[in-house]
Amino acid sequence: MPSERQSATTENLPERQSAVAENPFHQLRCVRAARMVRNSGMQRLIATLTDGDSAAALAEAQRLRDAGVPVERIVNEGLETAMEQVDAKCTVEAFNLLEIMLVGRAVTVVANELYLRGIPPDRSKATVVIATPEGDVHDLGKNIVTMVLTGKGYRVVDLGRNCPVSALSEAVEREQAAAVLLSGLLTTVIPQVRRVRPALAERGLFDVKILAGGAALRQASTEELDVDYVAQTAFDGARLLESCLAERPA
Amino acid sequence: MNSLERVRATVAFEKADRTPVIPQIFAHAAVLAGVPIADYVRDGALLARCQIEAVRQYGCDAAFAFMDACVESEALGSVLAYHEQQYPQVVSYALTPDVPVDRLSVPDPQCAGRMPELLRATTLLRAEFEDELPVIGVVAGPMTLAQQLAGPEAALFLAVDEPQRFEELLDFATRSALRYGQALLAAGAHVAMVFDPAASPAVVPPAFFRELLLPRLKELFAAFKKAGALATWLHIAGATEQILGYYPQAGVDIANVDYDADPLRARQILSHTCLDGNIRPLSFVLGSADEIATEGRRLVELFAEGGGFILSSGCEIPLEAKPENIAALVSAVHSDS
Repeated sequence: MPSERQSATTENLPERQSAVAENPFHQLRCVRAARMVRNSGMQRLIATLTDGDSAAALAEAQRLRDAGVPVERIVNEGLETAMEQVDAKCTVEAFNLLEIMLVGRAVTVVANELYLRGIPPDRSKATVVIATPEGDVHDLGKNIVTMVLTGKGYRVVDLGRNCPVSALSEAVEREQAAAVLLSGLLTTVIPQVRRVRPALAERGLFDVKILAGGAALRQASTEELDVDYVAQTAFDGARLLESCLAERPA
Repeated sequence: MNSLERVRATVAFEKADRTPVIPQIFAHAAVLAGVPIADYVRDGALLARCQIEAVRQYGCDAAFAFMDACVESEALGSVLAYHEQQYPQVVSYALTPDVPVDRLSVPDPQCAGRMPELLRATTLLRAEFEDELPVIGVVAGPMTLAQQLAGPEAALFLAVDEPQRFEELLDFATRSALRYGQALLAAGAHVAMVFDPAASPAVVPPAFFRELLLPRLKELFAAFKKAGALATWLHIAGATEQILGYYPQAGVDIANVDYDADPLRARQILSHTCLDGNIRPLSFVLGSADEIATEGRRLVELFAEGGGFILSSGCEIPLEAKPENIAALVSAVHSDS
């Protein structure tokens, strides 16, 4: 093959990186992030996470913990800040799974190291249940949302793909989840999505928010799906989740 | 003008009697005929019969010789699960981390997996439509085949963790697509479509497309032209604006424009490339026939002067689309003639 080809690392994306660096929103986020960071170890953690370097991020997180930095601080100032930085550069127009997956993988590796089995309920922002509805076996989008939300401090109960509505509503009740997230690549799952709200209502779960996303579902309106929000990207979903949970009565 | 002449003229930006209309009907043809999808994607004669019926019923300007995106992967050893009402999917990928890429060998379309059945379908479609209506032969693009061989997440991580192995995989996928596409053309396909949704900017950054996928697509399309393709068609879904500018270099004659891309912006970028699109696929399920007809007429008018436009859905027509909505799309091109 032609020799001018470069290896596929994010370092080979000069156009995109310069565009991101010039983005004023991104610069503001960086300033804010810099203020939050109180030592170079945390800065290194954020840098390795946003580079998608799992092994280096894990080493930095372990070093911070061994130096006595509380786990909550590593999550709040390290993982969440890294996710905010990636969030800022990912608009609907400039969003690609590969870069998110790399950061998401690094964040998940660190989160699993810090908490062993994901973020526990008493330390998370909230618990959410996520699934690809019955009739659809694609789960790439769902996995990415899971990584993004884990990085943002949510406890995510992942029910996998091809998930029946009954299993969803049961899990929401059992886990006392604040929201259900549904990801669908195929339009044929729409009838399943529409059944979620009535299934939750049958269990008296009227306050649980329902969010939908994915290649097929993002084409639809909230009315067409009978959900509270339709997200265009994983970060869009995380922002919608943040705002709808903030609106909930305490 | 017949459909083939109409499409040929449109691709060349010459005057046609009306705008061609090609809704991307794949397995919706099976649903329309009341046939299980598991049968449709395994039986070439059945596939051809369903496609012929769909073309006759709707009056569209092309037929598709396409089963699903897993045909090549299955021919290479992946194991699939088949479903009555849905496309098959890979349950066990041929390329596991311990398998060297060079252990895979390019499948022979005459005998590997379901490939011979699609060749049969192509021959039957060509026999039916002769040179009256184009038969579109569809192959999975390099990035999509790489994902179908290794798994979507594994293939993407491979690109970063083991770039050399990933490039070997892309090269292999390109050689496979090339041989399969040439076989489809030899079997009677007029047009070669490369179906590569995994190459979308929603999945990989534009620089990734430029450096890793563009050279392979260029190689594919050049080979298909040499093999006699009337036109080449690149199907990448999603917001493709950032990569459209590379399409002429790749040798693309027809560029798919999805519903979330601006067709006029696409025309600005691709002034000499025929566009197809771009009605929201879900509208064929949830929308009304009036909405589809109105949107179709708007698009036809938008491109009436400049030409080089095929009215279509932004992506595949959903399996459960309402037939009256597809009929409404087709009706939109007749109101201007």
